Amino acid sequence: MRGTLALLCCIAAMAAGAVRAEDLAAGISRDKIEITSNFTGANVVVFGAIENEGGEALPATETRDIVVIVRSDKPYIVTVRKKDAFGPIWVNRDARRFAGVPGFYFIASTRPLKDIAPENVLEQFEIGIDRIALGPAPNAIGGPKEFREAIVRTKVREELYSQHEGAVSFLSGSLFRTTVSLPPTVPAGNLKVLVYAFADGRVVSSNSMTLFIDKTGIERRLSEFAHYSPFLYGLVAVLLSVLAGFFASVVFRERQ
Amino acid sequence: MQIYLPIAEMPVNILLIIGLGGAVGFLSGMFGVGGGFVLAPFLMFLGIPPPVAVATQATQIVASSVSGVITHWRKGNVDLKMGGVMLAGGLVGSVFGIQLFNALKAAGQADLFIALSYVIFLGSIGGLMFWESLQAVRHGGSSVGSTRREPGGHYWMHGWPLKMRFHRSKLYISAIPPVLLGALIGLLSVVMGIGGGFVLVPAMIYLLRVPTAIVIGTSLFQIIFVAAFATLLHAITNHSVDLLLGLLLTAGGVVGAQFGVRYGERLRSDWLRLCLAALVLMICLRLGLDLVLPPSDPFNLAVEGLE
Repeated sequence: MRGTLALLCCIAAMAAGAVRAEDLAAGISRDKIEITSNFTGANVVVFGAIENEGGEALPATETRDIVVIVRSDKPYIVTVRKKDAFGPIWVNRDARRFAGVPGFYFIASTRPLKDIAPENVLEQFEIGIDRIALGPAPNAIGGPKEFREAIVRTKVREELYSQHEGAVSFLSGSLFRTTVSLPPTVPAGNLKVLVYAFADGRVVSSNSMTLFIDKTGIERRLSEFAHYSPFLYGLVAVLLSVLAGFFASVVFRERQ
Repeated sequence: MQIYLPIAEMPVNILLIIGLGGAVGFLSGMFGVGGGFVLAPFLMFLGIPPPVAVATQATQIVASSVSGVITHWRKGNVDLKMGGVMLAGGLVGSVFGIQLFNALKAAGQADLFIALSYVIFLGSIGGLMFWESLQAVRHGGSSVGSTRREPGGHYWMHGWPLKMRFHRSKLYISAIPPVLLGALIGLLSVVMGIGGGFVLVPAMIYLLRVPTAIVIGTSLFQIIFVAAFATLLHAITNHSVDLLLGLLLTAGGVVGAQFGVRYGERLRSDWLRLCLAALVLMICLRLGLDLVLPPSDPFNLAVEGLE
């Protein structure tokens, strides 16, 4: 009975989708951000327009909800530890490992997310900081909800996760835009920019782009040096320190 | 003025970091301690990831120790023989330390062990030193050992074999206590991730009865090697040494160490011991409170890497 119902819904959805063949054109103000020694974060504008099949703007009676998500391409594995009182002292007791933890997650929408689509749809597309699919890491048992919430809470505190309901604005009937602010601590690596258009609680069209974030110049060279020749890097670090210490004592002796 | 750190992957204020390096370098030159136990918590407070903070401070410790040692050397305050003997013990100690650390890690309580041993070591050493130096200050600057001789404190090691003459320290004692002390420091530095100056300095003063001025120079000499070893180890295993952060800290640190040495000389040795004891007790108190007070968020995250 349930299966039949689901099938029916599915067919209905496909039919509706076919009727509303729309196009979501989207763009970003810059697709590459270079981390230089004076990098203190960046703003990127995500904009777009919804057009119907004929390439025309939608009629004013048709309204769409837009959701813009910017998230890390490659997720991390993270261990969450919980401190508990052990006699008079607080110690790490319980620990859980999670996979699929994005280093950065930004979401902006035209309206509160829960007004845009039902919960199961939001979860399917991981829309909302509380709906990021954080699963147990391979060979690890899944954590209770409080561990997952702790990840999100920590990332929000570090300004790496943020949710801005109402931050996507329509400039006209079909033109929309929002500003993504990247904090200076944004992890280097590619970001996925996902744009969804919703109508009647369903995704009617979507678009995805890539925003490249990369270290350049001295930042890049040092970081590569540290990773590709770690022994030499360590030696250089020690040698520079010894030289600096030596230099200072020589300079100060001459001043006496 | 901000600069982006390539390994820590975040911007910091240049002047703030140089100033921080300078302040810690000052303490280092004055007391003969590396200052790692002050610097790392400060860096973490600024938002620098803990592995990067711990690894990078080691470069600053190398630099300010070198800067301090050369100045102490010119004043004849470094006992190379004593330092060498302790270093030999230190090598053996660090090998055992790695094994102990791995065993604790396997038991899952390395963090707790480290925190507790910090508090116990800092508390007992700081407390004893504070009490002793307070007495000395009250009695008008008498040197260690002349007014107070605990039973066994001065004589127990004199019957030991392998006697060596340490000219600079004006000592003729068995080589075994310095080797054991060096081994203990090597063990601590591996397990607790510190240079061990705050244990070494009081132990040399009270157990080996080395003159305070010589203790500071010789302790710094020993710390150079411990910190250089730590830098290499962190660079190889974790890639977490941030050269740019290290250079900024170093720039402040080497200058601070010079002022520290000069200021330390002007201070009477009993006052110097009292100040160091107060510093050690303050850090002990802070760490103790961290253990006892309920955390603001009981959960903490550790990123293990990309999937």
